[in-house]
Amino acid sequence: MAEQKVELFARRLDHGIQKAVHSNSAAGTEKRYNVLGTDYSAPDDLRRLAGQIRQHSIEYLDTYLEQAEQSLKRQGAHVHFAVTAEDACRAVSDILKKAGAKKVVKSKSMISEEIYLNDHLGTMGIESVETDLGEYIIQIDGDHPSHIVKPIIHKNRRDIAKSFEREGLGDYNDDPETITRRARVFMRDKYLQADAGITGANFVSAESGRLVLVTNEGNSRFCLAAPKIHIALVGIEKVIPSDADLAVLLNLLGRSATGQQLTVYTEFINGPARTDRPSGPQEMHVIFVDNQRSQILASDCREILRCIRCGACLNVCPVYRQASGHAYRSVYPGPLGAVLSPLLAGKKFKELADLPKASSLCGACNEVCPVDIPIPDLLLRLRNRGHQEHAPSPGTPPMGAFAKLASSPLIWRFAMKSNKVMNLVPLEKLPLPYLQPWLKTRTLPAWRGGEFRSWMKSRHKK
Amino acid sequence: MSTAREQIFSSVRAALTPLPERTPRPVFSKDVAEPKWLAAETDSLALFQKRAEATGTKCFTDMEACASWLRAQAVRVVYIPPPLTRLVALCSEFCEVTSEYSRARVNEIDAAFTPSAGAIAESGSIILSDGSTPDRLAALAPWHHIALVSRAEIHRTIADALAAMPADPNLIWVTGPSKTADVEGILIQGVHGPGAQACLIL
Amino acid sequence: MQSANRPTDRTVQLMATCLCDAFFDDVARATVEVLEHVGCEVEFPENQTCCGQPAFNCGDWSASREVMRHTARVFDGSKPVIVPSGSCAAMLFHGAPLEFEKEKDLPTIQKLANRTWELADFLVNGLGIEKWSGRFPARIAFHRACHTRGTGSAEAALKLLESIEGLEVVPFGEAEQCCGFGGTFSVSFPHVSSSMGCLKLEHLTEMNPDFIVSGDMSCLMHLSGLAERGEKPVKTLHFAQILQTALHRHG
Repeated sequence: MAEQKVELFARRLDHGIQKAVHSNSAAGTEKRYNVLGTDYSAPDDLRRLAGQIRQHSIEYLDTYLEQAEQSLKRQGAHVHFAVTAEDACRAVSDILKKAGAKKVVKSKSMISEEIYLNDHLGTMGIESVETDLGEYIIQIDGDHPSHIVKPIIHKNRRDIAKSFEREGLGDYNDDPETITRRARVFMRDKYLQADAGITGANFVSAESGRLVLVTNEGNSRFCLAAPKIHIALVGIEKVIPSDADLAVLLNLLGRSATGQQLTVYTEFINGPARTDRPSGPQEMHVIFVDNQRSQILASDCREILRCIRCGACLNVCPVYRQASGHAYRSVYPGPLGAVLSPLLAGKKFKELADLPKASSLCGACNEVCPVDIPIPDLLLRLRNRGHQEHAPSPGTPPMGAFAKLASSPLIWRFAMKSNKVMNLVPLEKLPLPYLQPWLKTRTLPAWRGGEFRSWMKSRHKK
Repeated sequence: MSTAREQIFSSVRAALTPLPERTPRPVFSKDVAEPKWLAAETDSLALFQKRAEATGTKCFTDMEACASWLRAQAVRVVYIPPPLTRLVALCSEFCEVTSEYSRARVNEIDAAFTPSAGAIAESGSIILSDGSTPDRLAALAPWHHIALVSRAEIHRTIADALAAMPADPNLIWVTGPSKTADVEGILIQGVHGPGAQACLIL
Repeated sequence: MQSANRPTDRTVQLMATCLCDAFFDDVARATVEVLEHVGCEVEFPENQTCCGQPAFNCGDWSASREVMRHTARVFDGSKPVIVPSGSCAAMLFHGAPLEFEKEKDLPTIQKLANRTWELADFLVNGLGIEKWSGRFPARIAFHRACHTRGTGSAEAALKLLESIEGLEVVPFGEAEQCCGFGGTFSVSFPHVSSSMGCLKLEHLTEMNPDFIVSGDMSCLMHLSGLAERGEKPVKTLHFAQILQTALHRHG
């Protein structure tokens, strides 16, 4: 029988990687749980409030996006819009070309992964260096992140040491501190030589036009310290009404992502350098990227646009822990990715329509989500869409016959009793293809169909 | 460019128009996300020190202690902006002191004092702004960074700090030294920015 | 979330679930006896079959709605509908309104949703029972079935269990994690499902409990099936069986 792609990936996954992903994820879940418990008596109320703030933000996106645009322009930022991933890439390279920029430093940004910006800049002859340590290692390895917050959760120190040696960053040394120091020295020159810094944004406040960026390493700050041009790629859904909303959102983001009250660096960018404030980049460009988001907004899965990319749902997800991020064949793994990736695929939805099936629907993702996204409901809606569009789904039993049986009580009762024959034959011999994967690793209890019904009847006779 | 803009706005409007109702903007009090332990902390200065130390930021309240820490760290070149003459005198005893932050010396200057734009007690964060820091690199590139925090400018909560953000092209809240856990989840400090973060409360 | 004003009459309709119908008549019997002990009259609508969840989870919502329409006809009326499974109960009060969100007969389905109770939730939060009499000298590990997240069911079951004389509930690691059953997930993702289950078993047995207890036979069927194949069998019980047994030991 054909296999689900996530299942196949998980089955073939290196045991060491699986263990590393599991333990790192479980540690993340525990840290989040502890800090929220220490700090709040009703964290769920706070999550629901944050969810409402974000749901309101996206349902008034027409208003807030325009307001954000005006605020940004008022501060002297150039505002651009990109409908597709290709448009967004071109917008970046056009800005760089116009300025004669050849060298770029990049701070970690999921949307730049989503539009494959580095590949595009490479073909344009522009050097683009990822500065987040994990993302840099991904870049030199020609790999893809497997977690949205911990991109190299699938790599160990020996892998990294080998990559550093290959790239001429010193002899083989797998001490994490040495690895980090070498990256520090290497990046330092890149920052100082770069013509432009590219970042994403965690939030954009419509009222103030402030772009909010959070990091622990401080690399985004460096990208905006030396270069003369700042380009921010921002998904249109990142807009929030005002700075005051950050009191709720920032407090949940750090705690949910890494168990920190706040990440080390929380940066508020409010325009390019001014004559009396000359330190930062002289040019600031904000590129608002749609790339299917307005279509998602029109769909019955719009709640996924609330997402603030904390990664808590990845950490807690038992399927993610078994399969790891690359099993999801897309930029966004885990429960978030199982919803978002097929939607971002647009017309190619069917190619990723298997992802929403890769879930036991246990609901842990919703329970930890800082913006209370009903992820299981969205997975179910996408399963229904996949079914309606006849997307392939190996291993999923057809349900037509079941529905007939379960709507015909007489036949149902007969089947309940007659299936006792199952107790007489070895189950492995039964011609029931969907039973066999169950039996490979599990036994079935004895069939006792109809017993309860008889008991119930006999008592009523008394 | 304007076509892309119009296209996006028109699809956003098309997506939202059919909604029978839209989620209203929630009303919430400013203190809604305050940790439950905050109310018991009455002294903002003490709370700031506690939270800063807990997130890895060293706190000094006198210049001598701060200078002797730098001496123990074997600092070679320290940037001290004018007019901190007393501090200059203290540091000159053991290292070179420069009053100008030059990008040509980015890798030589291994400690820097920069004035902050305040602090946040609840989170132990230091607030830096372009208005208070002459060069963003000065507060970022040296291994040791010491922010000068004025007692009067300590905000009690994160919400207070958000409500009082000055108009500045850049504000940054620094909560501890630069850190990463990318390699096997092991915490390493000083990945790009300061490996030793401190503040001197004046 | 469930409706706030669910009925609490003591004449109830039992939805036994298809798993109890097929395999676990002992659990269904325990449920009846437990409900009768607290003064309920239990009706069992004969034409009941299944809640339709398998089709719902597979994405075949039109097939699932067919089953749910049948279920809504069978469980007509205004009495509380009691389900000894967090998963099937959640299908009635959450899944069904979701799959009917664009259907004309949503109000009928919503009416049924608003009458549905998971067993422990009904006993504690519906009838206000806080303490269970009797004895059950054993150490148990209680698995909070996933479909009771966000409801009062797990806390309710634990409250009753912990009130039983001699019974000790032992803690274990990664308690929020799923057992890996997930309905048809268990057959379409057999490796992931089994790996999740084995990990769950490791945690559940950390403190060597006498029984693994839950409010969902689907989780327990999966876990005991795995344990038996792995030749490390475990003893499992539905919490209703503990309540029932405790009563007998009492008198």
